[in-house]
Amino acid sequence: MQKLFLIGIKDLKLAFRDRAALMFMLLAPFLLTLGLGFVTGRFSGGSTSGLSDIPVVIVNLDKAQLGDALLDVFYSDDLSALLEPAEADSPEAARRLIDEDQAAAAVIIPAGFSESIIPSREMLDAGAFSAEPVQIEIYTNPARPTSAGVVKAVVDEFISRVEEGRIGSMTSILGIPGIETMSSLEVEGLAQEMFAEADGQDFSSAAITLRTDSQGADAVEFDPLAYMAPGMALMFLMFTVSYGGRSLLVEKIQGTLPRLLVSPTRPWQVLGGKVLGIFLTGYAQVGILIIASALFFQVRWGDPLGIAMLIAAAVFGACGWGLLLTALGRSTGQVGALGSAMMLIFGILGGTFISLEDMPAFVRAISAITPNAWGLDGFTTLALGGSLADLGKPILSLLVMGASLFVISAFIFGRSNVMKR
Amino acid sequence: MRKILAIIIKDAIMRFSGFSELLFFIILPIIFTFLLAGGTPSGDEDARIRLLVVDEAQTALSAQIVSELAASSAVRPEVVSRADAEEQFSQRRASSIFIIPAGLDTASLQEGTAAVDFRQQPNNLNASIAQRAIQTALRRVSSAVSAANTAVSQREEAMPFASDAEKAAYFDQSLELARELQEDTPQRVTVIRAATPDQVEYDPRANSSAGQLITWVFIPLFGISELFAYERATGTLRRLLTTPTRKATYLLGTISGQVLMAIVQMLLLVGFGILVMKLAWGRDPLALAVMLVCSALAAAAIGSAMGAFVKTSGQANGLSIMLGMVMALMGGCWYPIELFPPAIQTFVKVLPTTWAMQGMLDLVLRGGGLVDILPEAGVLLGFAAVFFAVGVWRFRYE
Repeated sequence: MQKLFLIGIKDLKLAFRDRAALMFMLLAPFLLTLGLGFVTGRFSGGSTSGLSDIPVVIVNLDKAQLGDALLDVFYSDDLSALLEPAEADSPEAARRLIDEDQAAAAVIIPAGFSESIIPSREMLDAGAFSAEPVQIEIYTNPARPTSAGVVKAVVDEFISRVEEGRIGSMTSILGIPGIETMSSLEVEGLAQEMFAEADGQDFSSAAITLRTDSQGADAVEFDPLAYMAPGMALMFLMFTVSYGGRSLLVEKIQGTLPRLLVSPTRPWQVLGGKVLGIFLTGYAQVGILIIASALFFQVRWGDPLGIAMLIAAAVFGACGWGLLLTALGRSTGQVGALGSAMMLIFGILGGTFISLEDMPAFVRAISAITPNAWGLDGFTTLALGGSLADLGKPILSLLVMGASLFVISAFIFGRSNVMKR
Repeated sequence: MRKILAIIIKDAIMRFSGFSELLFFIILPIIFTFLLAGGTPSGDEDARIRLLVVDEAQTALSAQIVSELAASSAVRPEVVSRADAEEQFSQRRASSIFIIPAGLDTASLQEGTAAVDFRQQPNNLNASIAQRAIQTALRRVSSAVSAANTAVSQREEAMPFASDAEKAAYFDQSLELARELQEDTPQRVTVIRAATPDQVEYDPRANSSAGQLITWVFIPLFGISELFAYERATGTLRRLLTTPTRKATYLLGTISGQVLMAIVQMLLLVGFGILVMKLAWGRDPLALAVMLVCSALAAAAIGSAMGAFVKTSGQANGLSIMLGMVMALMGGCWYPIELFPPAIQTFVKVLPTTWAMQGMLDLVLRGGGLVDILPEAGVLLGFAAVFFAVGVWRFRYE
């Protein structure tokens, strides 16, 4: 047993002395996590994405109640972090800014917009409850679809409230006794008052209440880096396990493995020691990255025992893949190249780059063979306030994966000449 | 010239001596382009966000809510059982679930007790969008009742009702009127997509295709540094000193060989984009050729400069992949650059990947031509000039 540990510790030391390997094991995932932190808005205070200060150009040709109200919406405190509004003198100038990629969208409020909505004497007399619509134009930048979508959502929300106000005020006015005899001025004054009243109602006063619940949000505020950081760590873990496996073939080529085998050391002790070395290196790598995410990015991981066990299970599962690759590989170059390919393929299949939810169904099914998918599932559970007790499924899946791959690899090793003197 | 050709052929043979190189040259780039594009459906598919709806009420009102959601431009409702919805939600296969509980009907709406439930995964943009879509649908469904209630209270304020029956009749009359008004609601917003010369439809898959093309070409070109380090380590560069081969010949042969291979790789990926993903890469072949060559030169120059500083091939390999991935991420090759904070968007202009991506998108997305990509091509050539100068200046045989 002592020999097994000695071989394992020796491999751990060798890995952490190799600067090129360290670059891949620690620096690359750390830098990519940092970059993803920017994308998700984690470092700019964004809550759901990095979208902020979306440049939007507004042309208010209406210059009346509703046009001004929409302008106020764009300049409101609620949207100050999300939008960066600016006004243009003419629709042509605004469209030009979009064509030149200076803004995400232009909102052009035409003259007569308010008049077309707020009920007037003429509308009531004519029974024309919906006057000729005067449409707001949203001129969008095709290169900034997400930002343009946000601008459209803001306008839609405003129009939705305006419509509610219009329908409310029209319904009320038409039922007021003696409306037929009122002067145009009186009707319009009443319409303005009722419209403002109906328009002022917020959503909570709507007839159907929407009760919302964010899973686990009461306990822990989810941090996007709690997904990104382990995602990157697990992806580069696949490099580490293939690097470790490759070292077995390197020892064979350099002659240190045959020397070990002629000493009073059994092949299973050598193989066990190498596997232990890979496991310890992987555990140290993921552990350091998780600790770094807590120290540098203030990611809160919760249950330390859960974290420790999850990392162990994820590294065990990944080791299985590393060993299988080594057993199948014919040269160090082949194992290295296939290891890098496996790292990237498992990364994308496991949800490191984009959420599995956005992937086709067959990819979601295939992702179950990757330690990345199960590991990320576990880390997300922990970040949402879960504990070791909630990690049963991912941990068990990773252990079964690792054990199965170890058995298959041992069988292949038994038939190959790698572990023979 | 013969020497340069000989170096190019030698490098090509060395690089493609094993099958694994094909993995990185074409197989993985295609897999990545395909999968990342798979997350962004084409124009033929329904690009709306999937929303799981549990309809336990089974009333006309709940059907109306589902119908409003189906008409939404943001979400695609999928009615499932509660057990199915909860299973998908707990496994994080669904960003949100919308539950219409039993008992939701017009009576509860009038009484003001109508309520529905929405559960969302935290920090999920899709869930936030779905919530907005639900709010809009509920607003539409309930606004008629709200309007009728408002009309009743307004009327009561102006002239109290003589009896409850009169009040109820007034409510019914107002509700009918409000529904009539709602049905006649005209379209008040028109969206116009900024025109590109060829009226190109926005296709987010273009981002994936261009981004992956740059990622998978920049990394091996940064790998030129590994070639230099390898030849230094094996002593072949020193041997060159004993032959009548100038430093410039060696550098030109090595770099132009890698650039040529990169251009072939890019053409294959462009071909995949055109044939499989139906992207409009080929509108202006000359402009495309300029962008491909300038991008390859910029990346090759950085690889050459790196090669002058790295000590071992292992170090060079790690550094190339790491820098390639970080530059691709920060240059907007993986995620649209519009998602970055403004300060970062400005900062990343120091990266060649940002300019390469910008130029490629000008071509494939905005329908631009040679004139439109000249600024990006100029900046990339500037990168190439600076880094080639550094590489040649600091180049050493041992």
